[in-house]
Amino acid sequence: METSAVIALAAALAIAVSTIFPALSQGKVGAAAMESIARQPEAAGDIRTAMILAMALLEALTIYGLLIAFMIVGNI
Amino acid sequence: MSNAILFEVGGFAVDSVMTTSVAITAVLSVVAIAGTRNLKERKPGRLQSALEYAVGSLRDFYASIIGKEKATYFLPILGTLFMFIIVSNYSGLLPLAGELPGFQPPTGTLSCTVGLALITFLTTQFGGFKYHGVHYLGHFVKPVAPLLPLMLLEEVTHPLSLSLRLFGNIYGEETVLHQVSGLIPLGAPIVIMVLSLLFGAIQALVFTMLSAIYIDTATSAGH
Repeated sequence: METSAVIALAAALAIAVSTIFPALSQGKVGAAAMESIARQPEAAGDIRTAMILAMALLEALTIYGLLIAFMIVGNI
Repeated sequence: MSNAILFEVGGFAVDSVMTTSVAITAVLSVVAIAGTRNLKERKPGRLQSALEYAVGSLRDFYASIIGKEKATYFLPILGTLFMFIIVSNYSGLLPLAGELPGFQPPTGTLSCTVGLALITFLTTQFGGFKYHGVHYLGHFVKPVAPLLPLMLLEEVTHPLSLSLRLFGNIYGEETVLHQVSGLIPLGAPIVIMVLSLLFGAIQALVFTMLSAIYIDTATSAGH
């Protein structure tokens, strides 16, 4: 394989792998939050805030992957 | 997505991001000044009512996270960050954003978001020293002194992740919008734009919410 093809694959893998696991965890966070809201609708506001916060922290991991992917692509 | 240098002022290069952020600052300032020029206690004008509602709901939102007293004290900086970020995020949805020279959403550039995150970082340290005095430094060596490098690292990671999160989201959105507009110019970008409206608000909210939490951690007792 050519070097640029390997670099392109590496970039794709960087963003793909770093998307999978935060996405799964975000699904878990969303599911748990909805369950809690269904159980206790009066606490919906607090739960929503906490959910957005947890999702933002998880999302940061994907963004790191995106950044690394951009840095790798820059080397082609 | 051009970010070429437009002109130079006294040796400083000025690019599209700088012109757009100055324009956003000017628009926000003009709206704020126009809304508060002659404040009325009875029968406030439309703009004054809108601004009062915005400031009030922002204060209530932060108060629900860090308490009323601190929320009121830190509202000027948190609210300003929120307003600037949300307007700047939404500026990327205007027609020709990123295409026209001199018009590029500032939050889609790393240098701008790092600047915003550094403001949060400095505010956090200021808050720590204001509430605890010199004792604030003590919390870096608690519970045990060998943790000092880790605590310092954590303190530096906060602005890093704040800036990268905002930059990555907005830059990603801009790129997707750009690609979709190139691919299917009619109709399809609207779907992305509607999503961007939601994400732009959430990113502004998340940035200031995390800032508020960092400030709260530094200022609260028990360190």
